[in-house]
Amino acid sequence: MQREEKQLEASVESLISRVAYVKNALHSFIYKLENEYDRLTWPSVLDNFALLSGQLNTINKLLKNEKTPSYRSQVIIPLLLSPDRDDDLAKLTEQRVPVFSHEIVPDYLRTKPDPEVEEQEKQLSAEAARIGPEVAQKQIQTLNKLCSGLLEKLNNPRDEREAESSALRQNKPSFNPADTNALVGAVAFGKGLSKCRPPGPVAPGLPGQGPLMSGGPTLQQVTIGGGSGQQPSMGGPVSQQQGQPGKMPSSIKTNIKSASGSMHPYNR
Amino acid sequence: MEAPPVTVMPVTGGTINMMEYLLQGSVLDQALDSLLHRLRGLCDNMEPETFTDHELVYLLKGQQGNPFILRARRSLSHPTAPWHLRYLGQPEVGDKSRHALVRNCVDVATSHSLPEFLNEMGFRMDHEFVANGHIFRKGAMKVVVTKLSRILVPGNTENIERLSLSYLVELSVLAPAGQDTVSEDMRSFAEQLKPLVHLEKIDPSKQRH
Amino acid sequence: MGRVPGALQQTVDLLHKKLEQLGALKQQGNFSVDCETYHATATASGQPSKLLYVMHNSETPLSCMALFEGGPCLVADANFDVLMIKLKSHFQNAKGHKVECRGWKYRYSDFSIKVGTVTMNSSARGISAEVEYCPCVVPGDCWNLMKEFMQSFLGSNVPELPSVFTVKPEGLFAPSDCIDTMTQYLELFNKLRKLQMPGSNIRV
Repeated sequence: MQREEKQLEASVESLISRVAYVKNALHSFIYKLENEYDRLTWPSVLDNFALLSGQLNTINKLLKNEKTPSYRSQVIIPLLLSPDRDDDLAKLTEQRVPVFSHEIVPDYLRTKPDPEVEEQEKQLSAEAARIGPEVAQKQIQTLNKLCSGLLEKLNNPRDEREAESSALRQNKPSFNPADTNALVGAVAFGKGLSKCRPPGPVAPGLPGQGPLMSGGPTLQQVTIGGGSGQQPSMGGPVSQQQGQPGKMPSSIKTNIKSASGSMHPYNR
Repeated sequence: MEAPPVTVMPVTGGTINMMEYLLQGSVLDQALDSLLHRLRGLCDNMEPETFTDHELVYLLKGQQGNPFILRARRSLSHPTAPWHLRYLGQPEVGDKSRHALVRNCVDVATSHSLPEFLNEMGFRMDHEFVANGHIFRKGAMKVVVTKLSRILVPGNTENIERLSLSYLVELSVLAPAGQDTVSEDMRSFAEQLKPLVHLEKIDPSKQRH
Repeated sequence: MGRVPGALQQTVDLLHKKLEQLGALKQQGNFSVDCETYHATATASGQPSKLLYVMHNSETPLSCMALFEGGPCLVADANFDVLMIKLKSHFQNAKGHKVECRGWKYRYSDFSIKVGTVTMNSSARGISAEVEYCPCVVPGDCWNLMKEFMQSFLGSNVPELPSVFTVKPEGLFAPSDCIDTMTQYLELFNKLRKLQMPGSNIRV
């Protein structure tokens, strides 16, 4: 029995000292944030966080240690409540708790979360109970998938981004003004495009300026001749004109011939 | 030829007085991927579109004055798509208050008989080239990144040679005449492509020689 | 089929009546076909150029058909009209040559019939009748059927197989398209245009 009491005492003492470390670290961090914020660098902020997180970890480890008795089974009972100021208490708590009254005791000695927190927790547990284990599993998988996808995205293009920004940092040019002029001249006047053309290409002041029209993919939509696929014929004098349309194929042929001399696009 | 009186001629359909607002620039082949990457981020979320086109530029010479130019374009990747016939007016570059080159523009989609038809009208082909590349859109704005190739054997679009080690980059908007606010949008978009590409209002007549 | 202008409306009414007696149903809305004529101001080579016709058909409202008589044809979107304005220094619109054809649409089973009045310079010049057998795209396959149907309301005025089909390289078995229809209208318009004296009575 005595051994257990000693053990408890020892563990409480070490816990108190650990908490004191955390307190000190927090204290100095807050002091820095309030008084040295203008010189504080991000790495040193991170250092402070790392220190706090390490100390909290130590406390967690201590509490989980086999040798630490379960504080849960210890009972603390307020024996005497008093509305009067207690100087010893104030000193012990660095002037934070000057009285041990029925007003503050429930707050300081409570072993359960705040009522609002309790309420929220209840809602969450209800929610968790409502969805079946399968749905939960699915949601977990989805979340994992999203996370790994995001991680992959963040990791992969990092190399690309770094390569790109390093290229930019090295001031590698990404464009060449002379090329711009050559290309603009080419689409506008065919400059440098066809060698077979007679020199002194087109008269100055042409409406030129090559458009790089959007080409096939962006052609505006047209209804071209809705009548195809049907078979029209007309009554009336139509048939008397047979002679003239009779020339059609031959004249088309002539046209193709005259066009194909140097430039017909269908040659391929 | 510019700003034709609209009412003198009968018009059954079509859109009169459309203007093209244009900014141009280029990007070196090795920086193409960076540019495409950035355009994918800046532009409307859509499937990346590529194109391979054959453009034929036709001239019609009158007794006096400048020849009339028409551009006929067909898609090599979508051979059944309509041909695209385009008229472009004289560019207005002088106005300093406008951030983009502005020119009159008529786009016509046509059947495949276009070359024969233009020949019958008296047009003769002046030059031709192959253009392939990528298209992006952001609202009304269109960004076209094009590799230009010269055709070595007339009419043979398989036998081609690229014109330069850069891609032409064009930012354009089609709008009815007078809507100059679009050039503001274009300028701010062009700012976002710097320093990768500098899109500018380029007077093509200065590139002639 | 042409008639004395004064009697045109009478003839149109007669055709409508005959169609209705057959059991053809009048369709919603009118149809219209129009044709502008352009001629080149001058060609570089100096040789006279052919006339360029730009046509529209209410059945294909977004399209614009451009034809050279007996030469190549182009189907384009409506912006082609705007292009012709840009081209006005090279191609002049022959104002007096605007031809229009307006009328009613009828439907009789698989046949679509359009009877229209052709006007030139706002004066009526003749009547057009368009008959279409919708289920078939090969003229040679359905010509006899169409002929028989046309006899039922045109009587002896039934035409021969339109030349646009007979001159196709594949003969009667090439599918028809909207250009074939417009070519027939153009031939009809040009024929009516040549009729100088409105008093003459023309038979087909």
